Amino acid sequence: MAKAEPIPGIAADARFGDVAAAAVQTRTREVFAHSAGVLDLDDPERVHAMRVATRRLRSALEVFATCFPRKPHRRLLREVKALADALGQRRDPDVAVERLHALADAFNPADRPGVAGLAAELAATREQANHELAAALEEVERRELERRLLDLAAEARR
Amino acid sequence: MKARKVKGLDPDGAFAESLRRIVAMRAGELRELAPAALEPGASAAQHDLRIAAKRLRYVLELAEPALGRPAARGAKRAKRLQELLGELHDCDELAPLVADRRERLLAADAEHLRRAAGDADDLDPALVRAAPSRDAYRGLDTLAAYIAGRRALLHERFVRYWDGLEHEAFVDTLLAGLRPPLPQLSEAERAPAAPPDGGAA
Repeated sequence: MAKAEPIPGIAADARFGDVAAAAVQTRTREVFAHSAGVLDLDDPERVHAMRVATRRLRSALEVFATCFPRKPHRRLLREVKALADALGQRRDPDVAVERLHALADAFNPADRPGVAGLAAELAATREQANHELAAALEEVERRELERRLLDLAAEARR
Repeated sequence: MKARKVKGLDPDGAFAESLRRIVAMRAGELRELAPAALEPGASAAQHDLRIAAKRLRYVLELAEPALGRPAARGAKRAKRLQELLGELHDCDELAPLVADRRERLLAADAEHLRRAAGDADDLDPALVRAAPSRDAYRGLDTLAAYIAGRRALLHERFVRYWDGLEHEAFVDTLLAGLRPPLPQLSEAERAPAAPPDGGAA
């Protein structure tokens, strides 16, 4: 998973609002840079990377809340949270299935069918979660979330 | 758990000053939430503490370039705490899925056996040999035991880790490390003060 991009202009004596703008811009770009191929069920790292980037963006929006106009900030935070939830719903079964396969390998052969059955059931939920994620991404596109986040970020600059 | 609002943040003020206030609030939340989370079965309190650790970690990671080593050190500890509690949380998420699947398989097998019995006065025990999920229960029971055992072990590790943080006064040390440095004195200010009357003592 990619390390977080450094935020330009961070310094102890930098203006709080300017750092807020730079942080939200950087984190927004990171989220959308990870959106390519996120629906590919064969590559679980993509959805993981986008989820982590979305968490970082959400955290930046929360930390710097006071620097942004309240209403649009609240609305955008809600939309970012909805995206994060859809990514989480899609990612969680990946993690559980991977863990169950590792456990099944370590357990006695007689225990494996039970564990494998649960893993198969969880794997099947990924398809549904992927449809929901696709719908969430379409909504993000339709609402121009990236542009609106960048516009919000700019509001924090003096 | 909703994060508390931090008062006194000024968009026109210095980044470091605002960050100190936020870190102080988030670290305080961590300290307040920890005692309840130390109870072995307190999964809701452990979940809240995990979220608090995550919030503190992200603020400290953000603060690192401006506030330096104490922020980096604090972020590392908050991350470790978050990870430990995350592993506990994974157990809490997986255990009900195992129990739920087991219940559903049992119900389906019972239904199958009832149908297989037809008009018999009693259920022939030999019919269970063909119950569709007969091979699955054992694995699910083993898995449930594994999850419960792992959860207990992880909880002990979490308690030890938290005790270690308390022992090193994690929150106080973090906050002390983030305090602004005292202003440097000039040469003239560092010189010993002359007695008020200008004469020798």
